[in-house]
Amino acid sequence: MISRVAGCCFWMHRYVERAENVARLLKVNRSFVLDVPVDDMEKWHPVVIVAGEEQRFGELFPAASAHDGEVVEEYLSWDERNPVSIRSSLRWGRENARTIREVISLEMWETLNDLWHFLRRGPGRRRYRQDRDAFYKRVKDGCDLFLALSESTLLDDEPLDFMRLGMWLERASQTARILDVKHHTLGPSRPGMESPVELAHWSALLYSCSASEAYYKRVPRRPDGMSIASFLLQEERLPRSVLGCLLRARATLERIREQGRREMGDEVAATLDGLIERLRGRSIEMIFAESIHAELTHVIDTTMGVCAAIDGAYFHPGDQVALLS
Amino acid sequence: MARSSSRPRKRDRKDAPIFEGYRPLANAYDEIFTPDGKPRRGVTEVVRRLEAVGASELKLRQRLADGAFLRGGITFRVYSDSRGVEKIFPFDLIPRPVSARRWDKLDRGLAQRVRALNLFLTDVYGEQRIFRDGAIPKEVVLGSSGYLPKLHGIQPPGGTWTHVSGIDLVRGPDGDFLVLEDNLRTPSGVSYVLENRLVMKRTFPGLFGKVRVRSVDAYPQQLVQALRDLARDDARVVVLTPGQYNSAYFEHTFLARRMGTELVQGSDLFVHDDRVYVKTTRGPERVDVVYRRIDDDFLDPEVFREDSLLGVPGLIRAYAKGNVVLANAPGNGCADDKAVYPYVPAIVRYYLGEDPILKQVETYHCHDPSHLSHVLAHLGDMVVKAVDASGGYGMLFGPRSTKKERDEFAAQMKADPRGYVAQPVVELSTCPTWTRKGAQPRRVDLRPYIITGKEIWALPGGLTRVALREGSYVVNSSQGGGSKDTWVMASDGDEDDLEGAAE
Repeated sequence: MISRVAGCCFWMHRYVERAENVARLLKVNRSFVLDVPVDDMEKWHPVVIVAGEEQRFGELFPAASAHDGEVVEEYLSWDERNPVSIRSSLRWGRENARTIREVISLEMWETLNDLWHFLRRGPGRRRYRQDRDAFYKRVKDGCDLFLALSESTLLDDEPLDFMRLGMWLERASQTARILDVKHHTLGPSRPGMESPVELAHWSALLYSCSASEAYYKRVPRRPDGMSIASFLLQEERLPRSVLGCLLRARATLERIREQGRREMGDEVAATLDGLIERLRGRSIEMIFAESIHAELTHVIDTTMGVCAAIDGAYFHPGDQVALLS
Repeated sequence: MARSSSRPRKRDRKDAPIFEGYRPLANAYDEIFTPDGKPRRGVTEVVRRLEAVGASELKLRQRLADGAFLRGGITFRVYSDSRGVEKIFPFDLIPRPVSARRWDKLDRGLAQRVRALNLFLTDVYGEQRIFRDGAIPKEVVLGSSGYLPKLHGIQPPGGTWTHVSGIDLVRGPDGDFLVLEDNLRTPSGVSYVLENRLVMKRTFPGLFGKVRVRSVDAYPQQLVQALRDLARDDARVVVLTPGQYNSAYFEHTFLARRMGTELVQGSDLFVHDDRVYVKTTRGPERVDVVYRRIDDDFLDPEVFREDSLLGVPGLIRAYAKGNVVLANAPGNGCADDKAVYPYVPAIVRYYLGEDPILKQVETYHCHDPSHLSHVLAHLGDMVVKAVDASGGYGMLFGPRSTKKERDEFAAQMKADPRGYVAQPVVELSTCPTWTRKGAQPRRVDLRPYIITGKEIWALPGGLTRVALREGSYVVNSSQGGGSKDTWVMASDGDEDDLEGAAE
């Protein structure tokens, strides 16, 4: 397929997945701060940090705003100066979809377009004011429907593979970011010595990854921070765990390589393999002993590197004439 | 109880027949009604069915149709701000019917005109016989900004220049269709014809079963087949767009989708060894046909505008070698030039030895001093057009102009006579159009789309544009125009062509 179009497929799904995760994160954080007595500062500032927006937010707002939930929610939901706000992500997701309108299905386009018009016009604003949770749910549902429609309405072919690849890599990094909220809120965990507040926070993270029920099915003992972290980081069967997402991204990449010129994806595959091996090869105890924050930062950085390698290999390959042979 | 007694009365009023009280304009031909208010022959059934819908129902369905356009992203972009505001092209639900007999004559006339214009282009970029024989002054053609001297001597595959033509027609007070303008470069708007029909079918599902209207669905496949016939059976055809910020981007994606081809931007293509390639995730692949929706000027920075980022360096080299089909061929602008237009009847006679089937609007070319003085003397009754402008810009509409505007135009015309043509005002025909005051006469034109393949084929009907403002003559989308579905009625025994026959 055309390189530029493959790039749009990849980014379209990344943006929609990102919007979905930001809605998830905000929704769960709202219920968490209502339930648990933590300092004001700890309630909302961590969300800004894991979104990677600490610096810009600091430049745009006075310091006190960082623990004002209304300011943070507004910034992460609506602010177009924030490139990862729900509105920005959906705007760019739709812009990519519009660019490749001839590649996606009518159902996908109408779903995304509907969601965009909901945000762009009055109804989204009204819902946000009147029923915040329902607003986040509407965003999340719209994104989920869009992503599911790509699986149920498209040819199982290269364009869909690039969409999946974008979605899995974005999700891997978003789950890593969500896990890192804990670090920024309550500091490093002390295994086996968690306070009820910490436990509540760990449970909120599970919930925000739609993983509570899965966790209780897989882990037949009293929840604790380390096993929850392990579950969200390393459980291969969980479709939102970091490792689960990376493995699915890797399998998708392999399909792309099998159909095309294998060697074009060598560097991408090697980087992904390295990260997967690392997550598989280290116990959660080792990770906690060193620093889970450092591990998550490594995951986020490496995933960004994988995306850059994909861009260089498939979307913007340099020397076309050399590839002609 | 008091309320219930008023309810039926209220409903009665709201469900008034939609054409109740409709009065055609005195000086214009109406597409549906005769001057005494009766439906024209051939459309009585259409009128009866539409009347049965009722006014309140029509209003409701208009909202549904508008919603369908917006949700479907069937929009065009307005350039007024850098992010580009997306608007829907206003759509009026009352169709514009064309009788089968009338269409069949138009169809022959359009094919004749397109055939002659293709022969003309072959001649202009080849032997230039027509200048020697004096059917058109050489300087009128070679002085056109659309004439590309660098391409002289290059002939496109199959002698086809205008793979797609859009011929704008208007209808005068006597009901005759007249050609107003030819569009032989990259005529746009056909996607609205197809989408209007889809929305119409969704909005009035019952109507199409009863009224027999010719289908428009075949257009994209007709086009892609015409293009493949010029290359090879498994030819790779791409649609070249300036990108998603172009106002017609929706149309480009629409056509690519319905033609089953890829949509590319200039940066997706490159030329090596005079062959055109597309950059893919599996490396470069050959391209045989480029249906380009960018202007000649931007096509190849090696030959035309050096600053063009939209085009493909080397594309013209590949074209000159016969390694790629460009549709439409570059250089067509000298055949649809407003200054060449007055000579088209002569062009038809010259190449085909036939009288033109289609009439056209009497036109004064200001490069002729006697014409210029006549135009200047009657400026208040004329439409003056700059030959290099389009979209309703660069135009003086005499009867509605101010003295100051007329003086400015007169000065410009004297300074650059080749740059202007003038026509007497045509009282454009009207069609009932839904407004806040109910159905009202509004002026319309018609742009049929003609594909040149092995045969010349016209899409039945075309884009009907309507001037939505009361009294307005300007139908352009950039200036308050809307569109309607055009219904070419099927003739008897034409069963296979019926709209909705398969439903």
